[in-house]
Amino acid sequence: MSSEMSRARRHLETTRKMKDMLPRFFARMFERRFSNEPLAWCMVGVPPELLKAFDLLWEWPENFGTLCASRLVAPRFIEVAEGDGYSQELCSYVTNTMGYCKLFKESGEAPPESPLPGGMGNPAMLLGSGFVCEPRWKWFQSIATRFIDVPVYSSDPLAPPWDIDPHNPRIEAHYKELLRDDLHGQVAFLEKQTGKKLDPDLLREIIIRSHTALAYWRDTLALRKAVPSPMGSTDYFSAIIPQMYMVGEEEAVEFYREMYHEVKARVDNKIGITGEEKYRLIWFGLPPWFNLGIFNYLEDLGAVFALESTYNVGDWFEVDDLNDPLEVIVQRTWQRCVKMHDYGAETMPELCNPAVFGGFSGSRLLEEAVRDYSLDGAVMHLTRSCRAVSFGEVHTKNRLAEMGIPSLIFESDMADPRLWSDSQIKTRLHAFLETVDKSKKERR
Amino acid sequence: MIKALHGLARAEQIAARRDEIVRDLKKETGRPVIGYLCCFAPPEIISAAGAIPYRITGRPGDTMAEADAYMEPYGCSYVRNILAQAVKGRLDFLDGLVISHSCDMIQRLYGIWTYYRPLPYSRLFNVPHQVSPWAQRFFKRELVFFQESLEQFTGATVTPEDLSRAVALSNRNRALIRELYRLRKENPPLIKGSEMLTLLLAGGVLPAEEFAKLLAETAAEVKNRTPAGPPAPRVLVWGSLLDDSTFYRLIEEAGGHVVADDTCIGFRVWEKDIPLRDDIYEGLKDHYFLNFQCPRTDRGPGVRRFDYILERAREYNADGVVGYIISFCDPHKFDYPDLRDFLRQSDLPVQLIDDNYSFTPAEAIKTRLQAFIELLK
Repeated sequence: MSSEMSRARRHLETTRKMKDMLPRFFARMFERRFSNEPLAWCMVGVPPELLKAFDLLWEWPENFGTLCASRLVAPRFIEVAEGDGYSQELCSYVTNTMGYCKLFKESGEAPPESPLPGGMGNPAMLLGSGFVCEPRWKWFQSIATRFIDVPVYSSDPLAPPWDIDPHNPRIEAHYKELLRDDLHGQVAFLEKQTGKKLDPDLLREIIIRSHTALAYWRDTLALRKAVPSPMGSTDYFSAIIPQMYMVGEEEAVEFYREMYHEVKARVDNKIGITGEEKYRLIWFGLPPWFNLGIFNYLEDLGAVFALESTYNVGDWFEVDDLNDPLEVIVQRTWQRCVKMHDYGAETMPELCNPAVFGGFSGSRLLEEAVRDYSLDGAVMHLTRSCRAVSFGEVHTKNRLAEMGIPSLIFESDMADPRLWSDSQIKTRLHAFLETVDKSKKERR
Repeated sequence: MIKALHGLARAEQIAARRDEIVRDLKKETGRPVIGYLCCFAPPEIISAAGAIPYRITGRPGDTMAEADAYMEPYGCSYVRNILAQAVKGRLDFLDGLVISHSCDMIQRLYGIWTYYRPLPYSRLFNVPHQVSPWAQRFFKRELVFFQESLEQFTGATVTPEDLSRAVALSNRNRALIRELYRLRKENPPLIKGSEMLTLLLAGGVLPAEEFAKLLAETAAEVKNRTPAGPPAPRVLVWGSLLDDSTFYRLIEEAGGHVVADDTCIGFRVWEKDIPLRDDIYEGLKDHYFLNFQCPRTDRGPGVRRFDYILERAREYNADGVVGYIISFCDPHKFDYPDLRDFLRQSDLPVQLIDDNYSFTPAEAIKTRLQAFIELLK
């Protein structure tokens, strides 16, 4: 199995430099962990700015899942969870954590397979988020029930369905009240657990730095409209890490600023990532973290991804009135939700993400993406254990077909390499590129 | 023909011909039919707005290939089955649709269904996952939005009195259902689990008054029964939606009695009355949200969230618990290890059956159930 998997080859100097930057950051974090400073395990959807404002240490079990996947140790943890009764159908990020936690509890220390030295640490609290999917509701509930008995707060950001008008003031008030009260509930929980009062001035400063970094990140992604594509998916999926861990740090702003300038220079000098850029594609779904080299494999065939739907920072997060920083989070969540809703949210109704990373599948956004990024085709990863993100791919495929854009849906998983069928997937990718080639010629 | 039958025989006919019954009802009354899935959007509001509430059910084991053009193959087979029914045109008698945001798949079914097969009326009833005070306030507002949308569709005006009347009618049925459940405490039970479920499925298509008659005549019929045969192991069934009595029959054929359940067309929705308060929406919120036991709602960590299952198992003298989970049903699959350990620690054996909403291969399922029933003897 392992021989079929290959690690990512990054194209940007900035993302390659992460190999120095992140260990430095993690070393600082681990030092604090050893001093027994409170650590929170968090889910994507928890605003990282808030964690930083409380000066918490935090860890993302989802990201730990991607790390375990990339080091091919996830199956070890997943099998332990399966032995405990967790179905193979359940989210492999979750089963990875459940297996890890079981081994951790049994031995009293991080399992030797952990790709992070010291593992994920001993959390003092669990901060969940119901954004995107329900496994995330059950995940921390199960951890706190079975393995680590610590307080849990799960936030509950709901969004209006696709056929309800979010511009209706009553609807806006209805949803915003829930968002606001939920966020205040989260703050009250953090104040209780940390014994600290939220400092609004500090939170405002952190949000400003966070949004500055995100604006560079967003502008970098917009540069990918250029032909040839100046960066690849391996850079993209690596570059989400600083925003997850280093939000509000000047170093994160610097990282995204530097990346922007590097990508801009590549655009100006027409530097691409492959010899001949034959096909420009969009990626849907979570990547196979255990085999990010598949993106490089496609690049060697002349196929580049100019856009990815998952973890996309998108736009519309900047808020003019920064006076009340909690209200900034409410407002940015809502305005992003409304904008995505306007693009069509029939299959991705989970639009209220209090953090900024999200995904998209809006029908009308697809039209813009195809036009602006000069797309020739779409590759969609149908992740067996994550239906929440892969749901809607058939619909997206239908919508793209109406625009004459071919799509390939292939099946595997984001963290469980046991579901990767290398020769079958590569055969399908080769056949798909032939389809794209034909379709491109027909559209000319 | 159905009118000539009584009690359980009538219930069986109604359950087998639900679509036909609702078509006739629609024709007779001229009222629109609103199909609903899951248990958060109160059917009492649909009735009060002058429409016919119709509990949508799937057809276990039926082909689902028709869903493939719109929905991924990995996903709840119940949801795929329902979408396939809609695509095949078998639900064309529906004038409207309300789907509660219970789980991810149901929520997303709404978007796909209404995009590709729009109906004159459709509504996603949004439901928070927490039971915090603000989540409860959201749910109450959602009730009002739901009612307003129905009023707009049917042209009726629903007063609190109308709603209270609809609730009182359905509470009367709850009392009758509780009475029938009590007869399952006998050993052997006076009414089989499969019969009870058939009765409840028939109720999903009948107006409340008509359902009350059916329940009353069934209670009279069942009370006159003489307990037959020696006592057999008694099981409580926990799990995903069961809208077909086949699974209960398999347990019965395996030699067990289904004496209680924790499934959503079973006792989950009928066990308690809807509180009739001055603020009727407060009562609906408590019943359909705060106290409605579905693992999709987060009630915090710890095993106390399963206490009610243990209490019910004790109340009905269950010897064991059979879990029925439809493939890809995340909320139940997540709860299973915690619940299994909790029940076993309470000396209640558990047997899990994982199924793709087809109850096949029936022999293999029955063999596993037989082994479990043997264990309980």
